[in-house]
Amino acid sequence: MMRRAVLALVALIWLFPYLWMGLTSLKPLDEIIHSPTALLPLHPSFDAYRDVFRTLPLARYFLNTSVMALSIAALQIALALPAGYALAKLRFRGKRLAFALIVATLLVPAQVRFVPVFLMLARAHLVNTLSGLILPFGVSALGTFLVRQALLNVPDSQIEAARIDGASELYIVYRLMAPLLTPTLVSLFLFSFISHWNDYFWPLVLTTDEHARTLPLAIALLREQGSGVRWHIVMAGNVILSLPALAVFAAAQRHLLRAVTERGFGG
Amino acid sequence: MKPSRRTDPYWMLLPTLLFLFVFFLFPLGMLIKQSFFSWDLLTDARYVGLANYRALLRSGELLHTFTTTFSMSAAVVLGSMAAGLALALLLDRPGRFAAFLRGAVFSAYVVSWVSVALLFLWLLDADSGIFSGLWRAVCGSRAPNWLGDPALAPWAVAGVSVWKITGYALVLFLSGLQDVPSSVLEAAELDGASPSARFRNVTWPLLRPTTLFVATTSLIASFQLFDVVRVMTQGGPVRSTTVFVYAVYEQLFLDLRVGRASAEAVVFFAILLLLTGAQFVLFRSQETEAA
Amino acid sequence: MIPRREFLRASALAAAGLVGACATDAVPEGRTPVSLWFSYGGTNREVLEGLVRRFNARQSRDYVQAVYQGDYFEGLAKLRTAIAAGCAPTLSHVLGEVVPYLANANVLEPLGDYPGVRELDLIPELGQERSWLSGGARPLVALPFNRSTPIAYLNGDLFAQTGLRAPRDWAELRSVAERLSVPRTRFGFGCPINWWFWVALVGQAGGTVVAADGRVSLGDEAGVLALSLWQELVRDGFMKPPPGRDYNAWEQCNQDFLSGRAAMIWSSTAFLKYLEAHARFRVVAAPLPAGRKRAVPTGGTFWIVLRGAASEQKAAAVRFLRFMNEPEQVIEWSTRTGYIPVTRAAVKELERRGYYADHPNDAVALEQLSVAEPWPWSVDLFRLQREIVQPRLESAVLEGRDARDVLREARALALEPT
Repeated sequence: MMRRAVLALVALIWLFPYLWMGLTSLKPLDEIIHSPTALLPLHPSFDAYRDVFRTLPLARYFLNTSVMALSIAALQIALALPAGYALAKLRFRGKRLAFALIVATLLVPAQVRFVPVFLMLARAHLVNTLSGLILPFGVSALGTFLVRQALLNVPDSQIEAARIDGASELYIVYRLMAPLLTPTLVSLFLFSFISHWNDYFWPLVLTTDEHARTLPLAIALLREQGSGVRWHIVMAGNVILSLPALAVFAAAQRHLLRAVTERGFGG
Repeated sequence: MKPSRRTDPYWMLLPTLLFLFVFFLFPLGMLIKQSFFSWDLLTDARYVGLANYRALLRSGELLHTFTTTFSMSAAVVLGSMAAGLALALLLDRPGRFAAFLRGAVFSAYVVSWVSVALLFLWLLDADSGIFSGLWRAVCGSRAPNWLGDPALAPWAVAGVSVWKITGYALVLFLSGLQDVPSSVLEAAELDGASPSARFRNVTWPLLRPTTLFVATTSLIASFQLFDVVRVMTQGGPVRSTTVFVYAVYEQLFLDLRVGRASAEAVVFFAILLLLTGAQFVLFRSQETEAA
Repeated sequence: MIPRREFLRASALAAAGLVGACATDAVPEGRTPVSLWFSYGGTNREVLEGLVRRFNARQSRDYVQAVYQGDYFEGLAKLRTAIAAGCAPTLSHVLGEVVPYLANANVLEPLGDYPGVRELDLIPELGQERSWLSGGARPLVALPFNRSTPIAYLNGDLFAQTGLRAPRDWAELRSVAERLSVPRTRFGFGCPINWWFWVALVGQAGGTVVAADGRVSLGDEAGVLALSLWQELVRDGFMKPPPGRDYNAWEQCNQDFLSGRAAMIWSSTAFLKYLEAHARFRVVAAPLPAGRKRAVPTGGTFWIVLRGAASEQKAAAVRFLRFMNEPEQVIEWSTRTGYIPVTRAAVKELERRGYYADHPNDAVALEQLSVAEPWPWSVDLFRLQREIVQPRLESAVLEGRDARDVLREARALALEPT
C-alpha cells in the first residue's frame, strides 16, 4: 500500500511536468493571464502551435540541428574507429604519447575552451555556420577509448587472417572490425546524437541567425522579454523541442541505457 | 601486433590528434595567454600581467562563483544520488509499471536542458506557476518567489537539475544492483535480517564502486551547469546562481572582457583538473582494494 | 552498417559544406540586402516586422532582412561579438548608454553626409543632439528609434475609489503608496530596481551620474537619497521590489500591476499599449513626481549603421531609416507600441487628428520631454551601468546593504582601469 503511494508520487513528479507543459500549450492567452493554474483549458486551441510555426522557420532549425548532430556523431565514429584500432591493436613508437594526449583532452571541457575556439572560428569566418558547430566536436576522446576497449576483445588472429588475404588496414578497420562493434557503435552514435542535438551552449555562442541556428536555441528565444511572456507559445515550442528526443528515447531506450552504463564501466 | 606498414598507425591517429590539438590543446594555450591581457575584441589587446587574476580575487568574484558553483553542485549531486538510489531500490523489480516509471525518470535525462529549464520556468513562475498555485491552496498565503528570491533561487535551480539527472544515477545504480548476488541477500534474509539491515550490511558495501563513480562523474558534470542557469535566471537574482561557466560566458559575451573571462576559465580548468585527478586516485585505490 | 555510416558522413559533410559562410539568403534578384538585427519580442516585434515588410513591398531597390536576437543585452552581446568576428549586420539598434562606447571603438558609420539625413526633423531631445551632453558637437552616428521616458502607471479604478491623485512629489509618492498599501494583499507602489529609474530619482534629487568635470560621481548625495527612497519604501512595506534580472524584473512589475498587486508602478512608456490592452481596470499614465525638481532620463534605442558593411548596403540602410522616419511610419510605430514619436511632423499630425485628446496617456511621455536630462557622452557608461551600479542597486534594495557604502564602493570601482 505504502509502496503504491510512493510509486504514484514518483509517477506524479516525473510525468506531471510534461502533462502540464502539454496542457498549457493548448490554452489561449487570455486563460494564461487570468487563470494560469486552472488544470484544464476552457477553450483549448492550437493557436500557440500555429503561432510558433508561423513565426519560426522550424523546418530550417530542425534541419540545422539534425544535420549538425548527425554529422558530429558520424564524424566521431568515423575517426574513433581507426584511432581506437591503432591504440588497441598496433605496436608503434609514440603510442604512449598519443594515448596520453587523448587522455589529456578529456580534461578540457567545452566551457573552458570556448573562448579561444570562438575566436579561432571567427578568424576563419566560420561563425554562424554549420561547420563551425560541427568541427569542434569532431572527435570524442571517450568514444575513442570505448572503441579501443571493445577492440581489445577481438582476437588478433582475425586481423592476421584478413591481412594474409590481402586486406588493407582501412578495409580491416571499417569493414571487418566495425560490424563486430555494432552495439558499441550504435550506443555511441545515439548518445552523441542526442547530446549534441540538445546542445544549447555552443550554438548560443556561435550562431546569429536562422542560417545555422539550432532548435533548442530558437525555442529558448521564445521566452521573449518586454511585453508579457506568452507561456502557451513557449510551452508549445517546448513540446515541439522535446518530442524528437523523447521519440528517439522511446525507440532506442535499450541502446541509450547501455550507452550510459558502458561509459561507466567501460574503462 | 605489428602494423602492415610502418606508417599505418600514424595516419590512423592523425585526424584524431589533429582535431584534438586544434580544438583542445591549442585553445588551452591561447586561453592561458589571453588571461594575461585586457581585450574587448573591438580595440587592441593590452598586456596586464596578473591583473585579471588579482581583480577576480580582490572583487571576491572568484570566491563567490566558486561557493555558488560548489554549493549548487553539491546539492545536485547529493540530491540526484539519493533519489537515484532510492528509486533504484524501489523500481528494481519486474513488471510493466516499474519499467514504465524507470523510463519516465530516465527520459528527463534525455531531453535537452533547455526543455527542462523552460518547463520549470513556467512551473515555478511566482504568480502563475502551478507550484505557487499549490502553495496558495495549501498554505493560504502568498507563495515564495521561487526564482526571484536570492536565497531560494539556487535551490530551485538545483532542484530542477536533480529532477533532470536523477535518471542517470538511477540507471547506474540499477546496473550496480545487478551485481549484488541474490544468494547473499537470500542468506541474510533467512538469517532474520530486516530489509534495512540487509541494505546496510550487504547491498550498500557492494554498491560502493558504483556510488563513488556516480558521485564523481555527477560532480564533474554538475560543475559544468550552464543551460539551466542561462534560461532560468541568467545568473541572478543578484548573482545568486552565477556558476562558473555562466560567469565566464557573461564576462566574455555580455561584458566583453576577454582577458578576465580567460582568467576565470583557467581557474575553472584548474579546479576541474583537481577534481578529475581526485577521481582518478580514488579509482586507483578502489581497484587495488578490489584486487 | 558501414555503407550507411560512410554515406551519412559523406552527405553530412556535403550538407555542411553547402551551407557555407556568413551569407544571408532569400533576397530577391537585384536588390541590395540590408541585414537588421533587432531585440524586440511580442507586439513590438510584430509592428517592426510589419514595417519592414512594408518597406520591402514599396520599393524594389533594397531588401531588409530582420533577425531577432533576444533581448537588448543578448542582442548587444551578439552584435559586439559579431563585429569582432567580422560577421556584423548592416543595421541594428542599441541602447543609448552604449552608443559612446561603440562610437569610440570606431565601428559606427557616420550618417550626417548621407542624403536626406540632416533634413529629418527629429525632436532634438530624442535625437543625438540632446540625448547626450554635447551630442550635437560629434559626428552623427545614431538616429532615434524607439525612445521612451519612464512614466507612472496608476490603477485608475483604485485611485478613483480612494479619491487620490497622481503624486506630484516624493512626499506625495510616499503618502499615496502608504494609503494604497493593504498588508498581504497589495502594495501601493512597484518599481523595477533598475539603473534607469534610479537615474531618474538622482535627477529629481538634483544630481547627475557623471559630474561636469567627468568625474563619476553617481550623484553623490543625490545618489544616496535616490537609493534610500527605495529602501525606505520597501522597508515600510509600501513598495514591492520585483524579482528577476533585467527585463524579467520589468515584466514582473507589469504583471503585478495588471493583477492588482501593485496600485501604482513606474515603468516605461513602451508598455503603455500592452498594459492598456490587458488591464481589467482603467489605466492612467502620469508623469514621475518631482524631488527637488522634475527630471527623467530618456531611454530606448537608437538606430546604428555598422561601418564594416559594404557601401551599397549602408546606403540602403539609410534609405530604410529615412522611410522609418516618415510620418506615416513614425505614427504607426508609436501609436501601436507606446514609444514616443521621434519627428516633429509626426507629433503635429497626431495633434491635428486629435489623437492626444483621445489618448491622454500617450501625451504623458511626450510632455515629460521638457524635463528630460541628457546622458553624459561617456565611453564607460554602459560598463558603469551594468557591471558596477546595477548589481549594487539590487543588493542595496533586495539585500538591505547600506546605500552610502554601496555607492562609495561603486564610485571606487569606477575609477579602476578596465
